[in-house]
Amino acid sequence: MSETIVSMKGICKSFPGVMALDHVDFELRAGEVMALLGENGAGKSTLMKVLSGVYTRDAGELEIFGKKYGDLTPKHAQEAGVAIIHQELNMCRHLSVAENMFLGREIVEKGVLNNAEMERQAKAILDDLKIDINPKQMVGDLPVSKQQMVEIAKALSVNARILIMDEPTSALTAKEIEDLFQIIRKLKSEGKGIVYISHRLEELQHIVDRVTIMRDSQYITSMNFADTNLDEIIANMVGREIKEKFPKVECEKGEKVFEVKNLNAGKMVRDINFSVYAGEIVGFAGLMGAGRTEVTRAIFGADKKESGQIFVDGKEVKIKCPEDAIQQGVVLAPEDRKKDGLCTKLSIRHNLALPNLDMVCNKLGVVNSKEEKKICKKAVEDLKIKTPSVEVDSGNLSGGNQQKVVVGKWLVRNSRVVIFDEPTRGIDVGAKVEIYNLMNELKKQGIAVMFVSSEMPEVMGIADRIIVMCDGRITGELMAKDATQNEILKLATTFEDKNIGKSEEVAL
Amino acid sequence: MKNKKPNTIRKILAIRGMGAALSAFVGLIIIYIAFGLINPEVFSGQNILNLLRSMSKYLLIGIAQSYVLITGNIDLSIGTMVGMSSMISATLMSNGVTPIVAISVSLGACLATGVVNGCLVGKFKLPPFIATLGTMFVTRGVAYMVNGNRNTSSISSGIGKEAGDAFQNFFYYGTTFGIYNTFWIALIIFAIFFFILSKTRTGRHIYAIGSNIDAAKLSGVNVVATTTKVYIVSAICSWMVGLILCAQACMGNMEAGNMYEMYGVAAGVIGGVSPLGGTGILLGTFGGAAVWQTLENGLNMIGAQVGIQRLVIGIIVVAAVLLDVVVRSGEFGKKKEKHN
Repeated sequence: MSETIVSMKGICKSFPGVMALDHVDFELRAGEVMALLGENGAGKSTLMKVLSGVYTRDAGELEIFGKKYGDLTPKHAQEAGVAIIHQELNMCRHLSVAENMFLGREIVEKGVLNNAEMERQAKAILDDLKIDINPKQMVGDLPVSKQQMVEIAKALSVNARILIMDEPTSALTAKEIEDLFQIIRKLKSEGKGIVYISHRLEELQHIVDRVTIMRDSQYITSMNFADTNLDEIIANMVGREIKEKFPKVECEKGEKVFEVKNLNAGKMVRDINFSVYAGEIVGFAGLMGAGRTEVTRAIFGADKKESGQIFVDGKEVKIKCPEDAIQQGVVLAPEDRKKDGLCTKLSIRHNLALPNLDMVCNKLGVVNSKEEKKICKKAVEDLKIKTPSVEVDSGNLSGGNQQKVVVGKWLVRNSRVVIFDEPTRGIDVGAKVEIYNLMNELKKQGIAVMFVSSEMPEVMGIADRIIVMCDGRITGELMAKDATQNEILKLATTFEDKNIGKSEEVAL
Repeated sequence: MKNKKPNTIRKILAIRGMGAALSAFVGLIIIYIAFGLINPEVFSGQNILNLLRSMSKYLLIGIAQSYVLITGNIDLSIGTMVGMSSMISATLMSNGVTPIVAISVSLGACLATGVVNGCLVGKFKLPPFIATLGTMFVTRGVAYMVNGNRNTSSISSGIGKEAGDAFQNFFYYGTTFGIYNTFWIALIIFAIFFFILSKTRTGRHIYAIGSNIDAAKLSGVNVVATTTKVYIVSAICSWMVGLILCAQACMGNMEAGNMYEMYGVAAGVIGGVSPLGGTGILLGTFGGAAVWQTLENGLNMIGAQVGIQRLVIGIIVVAAVLLDVVVRSGEFGKKKEKHN
């Protein structure tokens, strides 16, 4: 067995009113990938923040490379070799790759920055990782996946020997994930210890050696990945068996509710034709960057359409802006909840009422708070939003509950078409099922449900019909019950130009 | 040879913020020529000298505010620090204190204000608008109090005519190599702060804080120290402008520097410094200050009333920011496509 490089014993940390860590143990060995698993709010991030010095523990022992640390500061943690790759990327987008990598420890000669040297060293590190990025490029111009690679390179450039990755794959395409795994394997072979936090349990098998599971601020268990299986892991995470990962409801397929004809909007939305019937969920599959989000935004009127017709219940509707869409009963729960879906600094009540102010205001524009409360009460009950009060800031809710608020504000109206864009991203297993149930509920009510997801098992498990997109076009349509992952992937990589997409053998 | 030239041009254009800075200079040339065509006096040598001297104040104020803006903050106390600097030095000199001591005392007062600003914003995380609004009132209050709520008498009456003239010549009326000293002073300060911002670690940290303060913090950047430094730069520049105004009037005026903090924002913004932080270079601020002064000078030369001057200048500032926003939104659009 290789050397233990991190040992945490009986770590406690509390915040006003909450016990975030309750005597948690954690151990990391050299040359292994340790998955740290648990539902949102289980305390994983807090534990890792203790390890990286962002939080100071209240009690417990912490050893890094055999050395005991008392009150660890971020600086000490960095010196000890701990680096954290944040879920929300932490880069200065106005600065170049090299500038970001050397931020805080610039190479200076006689008081003057030595940019050439920093760029040379940055290049060397990037080359070593086989990452093809020009160190002079502005970080803001790079796609998210590349920014993440830069962040890893930055961590390694400070001689990190313990790497904490928080949801590193949530914004990556299958190909990019494979690249990332290559890098992780390389780091592993060099004897570095990696803590891997992810909600995508399917991907663990490709890289993980051991798992540590946390639940409700407590340590539950650690095991070798080879000796366990996903069912056992999930059961430990949620503390109960989730029987159906993807609850499916069979409904009679009804009338055509929603139809899009010849929709064009820029490069990523080209000649889109599809329809959604009552009693079915249509899933949009494809690699990231296939144009699915753009389609939802164009339909909703958030982006400009070049051409195309949209029909709701057989009647053509004109949608020029989101307001039109809402009036016509077409609503969107966007991809980035915090950015596009919610006003995070406002309360749940304000968020729920925001698009429905026409319904709760009188003619003079005065809000009828009784009416408003009624709406909120109904939404909280119907959607089982877990909160002490509707006055809580929506930004303080967990991901799953935030998503429910986003959906909740649309269900107040009699919407006909509900579009979900990545509804379960970053949401824990238990809350995911609740979101699925919610979609099924809408389906039962005869509402046309369209959803975009990058998680293939989810699309196959929840959708009745799957539309696959690639490069801004629809490349195929499958019935979910006959679809296979391979088929979907093949369609998802059917690029127009044969030279680009042919070779990709993508592992998911 | 032929190959090399476009390369250097491309290299220069590749410098961040250069595009916006250069467009300020293009605007400057257009404005200058346009006024000159209406009134050829604009092109006269004396007018150019006057222009350079009067733009010096805006350049210094612009540097002050640009430093702060690049970190994503703002300093509302610039104009009042100018007033305080002018009043403290003038009061002391009119009471016979030697100039070197007088300006040192006023430098001390400005530095103290800068440190307070830096601590309030950097350490105590006060919104910069509120923190510097407070110091703005305080410093204006000090400017009023130092001479008992009155403007000072002539500084020469205290330190004597000879010393008074020397002080005035050094900061305002004298020339070196045919150009007013004021401009040389501003140019030297500009060169120093240009160097610090573009070539040193502190400069890099200033951009990093404005771009993403969390990332900067997690990379080990000392945010409190850097924020304080920025407000100190602002204090130093304001102090210098106070001395210039004092020398120009030969006395201290309690209202000196009124609204200068906003002129500083304008100079920076016209030159491409984003009020959102993270972008902009001092060369742009130079262009912005020149545009500002050329407009004021040109409108004066063609006999426009003060009202018209203000109006035109206001429109120019908004137009510059509007252009910035339009360009930015284009950039964001591009990014979104890539990202998805």
